[in-house]
Amino acid sequence: MRRIAATLLALALPLLVPSHAQRGAAPGDVGQVNVGGTPRISAADAARPVPRMPDGKPDLTGPWVGGGSNADIEREGGLKPGELPLLPWARELRDTRKTEDEPYTACLPMGVPRVNPYPWKFAMTYTSKGLTQIYVLHETGDAGAHRVIYMDGRKHPEPDDLFPSWFGHSIGHWEGDTLVVDTIGYNDKFWFDSRGTPHTEQLHTIERWTPVNYGTLVNELTIIDPGAFSKPVTLKFTATHIRPDLDLLEFICLEDNQYGKAGGFTPASERK
Amino acid sequence: MRTAVGPSVAALGVVACLAVPLLAHHSFGTEYDASKKVKLTGVVTNVAWTNPHMRVYVDVTDANGKVTNWNLELTSPNSVRRQGWGKNDLKAGDKVIFEGYAGKVVESRASLLSIAKVDEPERKLLVQGGPQEPATKAN
Repeated sequence: MRRIAATLLALALPLLVPSHAQRGAAPGDVGQVNVGGTPRISAADAARPVPRMPDGKPDLTGPWVGGGSNADIEREGGLKPGELPLLPWARELRDTRKTEDEPYTACLPMGVPRVNPYPWKFAMTYTSKGLTQIYVLHETGDAGAHRVIYMDGRKHPEPDDLFPSWFGHSIGHWEGDTLVVDTIGYNDKFWFDSRGTPHTEQLHTIERWTPVNYGTLVNELTIIDPGAFSKPVTLKFTATHIRPDLDLLEFICLEDNQYGKAGGFTPASERK
Repeated sequence: MRTAVGPSVAALGVVACLAVPLLAHHSFGTEYDASKKVKLTGVVTNVAWTNPHMRVYVDVTDANGKVTNWNLELTSPNSVRRQGWGKNDLKAGDKVIFEGYAGKVVESRASLLSIAKVDEPERKLLVQGGPQEPATKAN
C-alpha cells in the first residue's frame, strides 16, 4: 500500500503544485530580477510533503537552486569568520587570490560543492536494474559538463586508477531518506568559492542530501583534505525547489565570454 | 539624445548600494563601478543572445555629435528568457533609454540596470537588480 500511495502522490504532485507556475511572463511584462532571475516556489508549496519515486525513495529531481557554496564557503556553510580549519598556506592562498582569477569565470566547471543562482537538478536514472546513476546537471556554471553519482553499488577505483578530475569519482547510497555521496579523485583546479578557498588532490567529500519537504533539500557536506585543512569540517547548505515547470536551458559559456574587459583586466586563465 | 551624462554619484549613490546587479557568472564588483550610474538614450545596434551573458549594444550620441557604441551586459540568455523576454522584445533600430553602471576602466561597457523604449520610458523592458553580495575578503 505504501508503494501505491507513494506512486499516486508522485503522480499527483505536479497537479498539486502551483497554479502560478506559468511559463514566463508576458513579453515586455518583465518584473524585477531576483538572485539570478530564478523564480522560487511559494512557502505553502515548499511545505508540501517530500515527493517519492515508485520505489519509495525520495524524488530528489528538483529543479533546485542553491545547496552549495558560491561567494564564501565559510559563511555560506554556516561557520563564523575564521572557523574554516584551513592550514596556514591554504588560508594565505585564499586571502591573496583575486576573485577575477577564479577558473569558473573562464568557463571552467565549478566543481563541488559550488553552485550559482541558477537551476540544477539530480537526474535520477532508472534502468532495468533500478536506480543506477544520478546525474547532477547545472544549467549554468559547469561549462556543459555533468557530474555522475554511481548508485549501482560499485566501489571507488584504486587510487592509482584514478586521475585528477573536476568532479572526481562519486558513489552514492541511501541511508533512509538521505542520499549519501562519497567522492574522491578531485583535481585541485577549482575553487570552493569566488573568495578563492583552495583544496588539494587529497580532497575527499561526503555529501548527505536530505529532503525536508517538497521545497527544501539540505546538504550536509563533510570536507576531508589533509593537504589543505587541519581537520575534517562539516558544512550545511540548503537548496530550494524552484518552479517545477522550469526546464534547464542551454548554456554554452565559451561562446562570447568578455569577462574582464569592462574592468580592464585579463583573467588568470588567459594570462598563461 | 543624451538625457544625462555619466555618473550621478550624489543622487544615486544610496540606490546603487541597494540594487547593484548580481551577475551570476561572475561578480559585479570586479568589473563595474556602483558609483558610476548612467542614464542614457540611444539606438540599439545589436541584441546579442550570447553566453555566458547577453549583451545589448546601443549607439549613444553626445552633445558634440560623437557616437559611442555602448556594450550593455545582462545576465545569461537562459535567465533573461526566464524573465519572459523574447527575441522580439527589443531589436536593432529601437530607440531606447537605459540605466546601468559603467565599467571601472572602460566606461562604455556597462552593467545594464533597466532599459525601455523612449516612447514608453516607464514601461521597462527589463529590470536587473538584486542584493549585493556581502564582501568576502576579510579586509
